[in-house]
Amino acid sequence: MKISILGAYATRFGELWNVSPRALAREAMENALKASKLKASQIDALFVGNMLSGILGNQANLGSLLVEELGVQIPAFRVEGACASGGLALHNAINSLRAGQYKTVMVLGIEKMTDHSPDEITSALMAAGSDEERMAGTTFPGVYALMAQAYMQKYKVTEEELASVSVKNHYHGTFNPKAQYQFPITVDGVMRSAKIADPLKLLDCSPISDGAAAVVITSKNITNKVLKQINIVASEVATDTLSLHNRKSFTSLSSVVEASKKAYKKAGIKASDVDVCEIHDCFSISEAIATEDLGFSGRGEGARDIAKGKRTLFKGDIICNPSGGLKSCGHPVGATGIKQIVEITEQLRGMAGKRQVKGAKIGLTHNVGGSGAVAVIHILKN
Amino acid sequence: MVTSSPVKLWRRQENVVSLIEKRGKILQWTMIRVPATSFMDQAPYPVAIVKMQDGKNMIGQLVDWQKQDLEIGREVVSVLRRLRTEGKEDVIYYHIKFKPI
Amino acid sequence: MTGIIGYGTYIPKYRLKLSEIAQMWGKESGEACKLMGEKSVPGFDEDAVTMGIEASKKAIYMSGIKPSDLQSVYFGSESHPYAVKPSSTTVGEYLGIGNNYFAADLEFACKAGTAGMQVTVGLLGNKNINYGLIIGSDAAQGRPHDALEYTAASAACAYILGNKQSEIIANILEMSSFSSNTLDFWRRDGAKYPSHFGRFSGEPAYFTHVIEEGKNLLAKSKLKPKDFSYCVFHMPNGKFPRSAAKKLGFTPEQLAPSLIVDKIGNPYSASSMMGLASVLDIAKPKQKIFFVSYGSGSGSDGFIFETTKAISSKQKKTISVLKQMENKIYISYPAYLRQTHAI
Repeated sequence: MKISILGAYATRFGELWNVSPRALAREAMENALKASKLKASQIDALFVGNMLSGILGNQANLGSLLVEELGVQIPAFRVEGACASGGLALHNAINSLRAGQYKTVMVLGIEKMTDHSPDEITSALMAAGSDEERMAGTTFPGVYALMAQAYMQKYKVTEEELASVSVKNHYHGTFNPKAQYQFPITVDGVMRSAKIADPLKLLDCSPISDGAAAVVITSKNITNKVLKQINIVASEVATDTLSLHNRKSFTSLSSVVEASKKAYKKAGIKASDVDVCEIHDCFSISEAIATEDLGFSGRGEGARDIAKGKRTLFKGDIICNPSGGLKSCGHPVGATGIKQIVEITEQLRGMAGKRQVKGAKIGLTHNVGGSGAVAVIHILKN
Repeated sequence: MVTSSPVKLWRRQENVVSLIEKRGKILQWTMIRVPATSFMDQAPYPVAIVKMQDGKNMIGQLVDWQKQDLEIGREVVSVLRRLRTEGKEDVIYYHIKFKPI
Repeated sequence: MTGIIGYGTYIPKYRLKLSEIAQMWGKESGEACKLMGEKSVPGFDEDAVTMGIEASKKAIYMSGIKPSDLQSVYFGSESHPYAVKPSSTTVGEYLGIGNNYFAADLEFACKAGTAGMQVTVGLLGNKNINYGLIIGSDAAQGRPHDALEYTAASAACAYILGNKQSEIIANILEMSSFSSNTLDFWRRDGAKYPSHFGRFSGEPAYFTHVIEEGKNLLAKSKLKPKDFSYCVFHMPNGKFPRSAAKKLGFTPEQLAPSLIVDKIGNPYSASSMMGLASVLDIAKPKQKIFFVSYGSGSGSDGFIFETTKAISSKQKKTISVLKQMENKIYISYPAYLRQTHAI
């Protein structure tokens, strides 16, 4: 059974003060339908990826709420896995197609964060961690900072080398009209930004954002003669301990290693076959470690390879985060996983405009929940 | 947003009792400068992953520290302290933190 | 006979130099700083209970008993974390003593702890218990720009009393108490800082009760000041205990080892108890110790202790008061305000 992407659409990410969650959902879903050349009545079910709606907005039952915006009363589900909610929603949607329960479904990732104060958000995001981490007064940046400390000490990587991740992603963001930040930054700028949790500084951290992204997938044999058919050839999930301190390593996410291994096997490819990749760079250290866990770089070489330009548009070999990643494009938590799919779809269709990776054939999305408690890997081929 | 639950505090007591006055070494530390709401008034403060003598890892705030204590391998002991500043009418949470020795 | 079988003390690490306070309020250092240079300040997350637990653990260690052997906990303080919810059971729980114990909180300004000791002596005498724990602990609050700001300090002291002669390091030969309704120092429910009435705290309050109780104790025991190796008095400042000792006929040498106030200020309910602990840290067997506490409101608890052979070995099982007084970090006045939750 082939799982194909019909239509994909992401809204602008950013501080969308005057856009309500419902309006965000509507924009994403209507445009995804349009791109799929379908009517709402042709969708069998809606899967929603979202993390904070209950915690911040006191709104649960999101599946039922958002299916109203689609205008049809079809089965609807919310899937949650912290920042991997989007990817996990897609994984579950794919499973429903494979099971034959549904034939064509919409997957929506959505997050509205800017209605709340930064303090509330910092506290709410720690729901992705463990109680022990919360009671130790750790924040999300704090947990990744512990990883960064371990990584820098083990491999003698400098803060400047880590900063190159944010610099690359902002450079990519200048080519993305939907990105939250579309201006370049420098290593010096990163180094001078305020410390959040040593050694991570403000510009090492992805921002707080609003946004939504939707994709329509099907198991039917529909061929669109104008657009290249994009198939999802692997969708794999793996978990690891909730708390960072209970893991075997602080410089690698075994959930990513495991999920990507399974995905490569399913897709029949090696890591080096990947042309373009959307990585979950919630912090600069996350991308450095991810490129190693995914097998693009050797252990300890991830940050340095990025600093050398190996993952940069127009000059690298495996291009990472052409959308600008979480850092520059923005990180509305539940939406990110689906936005990554939207980006890869556009890349594989040759529709990525100024940030097109030439001749992209195989794309990968890497979506992580918490500090690595869950990882979802998707591989797409055209 | 999160008010202290007396039930949780009570249910966890026995476990906390067994964790007081245990020694360990700092495995990794960071300095939290932008904390969650309930820790606002304590920032900045260090948080460390500590390898305890029994081999398990724990994570906790460091207290009574000076700059020279923030290094890998520094010996610490677990102590009971007030967790955070709670509301004026909330129950008081006591929790394990780590002190350099 | 009932006596002390172990004790423990805890002094928080932080110190504020009195000259910093004086500088803050634009004062010349003068008289106050001649006798006391600094005071102890609790960490941001310390309170009477956390300090009380630290002191109690040390007392248990010295006593050589199991936590579950304790059958009573009396916690004296004027800074109990709750107005209603006993500190004694929080301590009991976190020490792991089980559920079969008498417990209550006491308040009697600076003599709440020693009052707890007298209650425990009663329970032991009546054979209701074999071992009892008493804690005197305070994270004292001094009103900014008030005279008491120079002395209000923080510390905790714990004593375990028992009946087994082989375990006792200091027998209680005599005890009595002198009480009246004298309003020299008080704090209304809900008020953050205590109030006091200046010089009224002197003659009519501290000295009346300490001297009268002292005289009673001497009369009851038929002993004279020269029969004692040491004397300990409550130390609200450096002057009062020196003056009381002199008035009752004791020498500066008998008083000197107990004067913790010179190093850390006045930790209220822990003050006289810690003065006693610093004497027990160095006492030899068969020495008599004269002890009178004072709590505003007002009252004085008197004890006559006599050390035993057992004290020598148990002195090795403690971190001395002197050592803890020297284990310190200096902080600034703003940090002091932050750590005492004034800002």
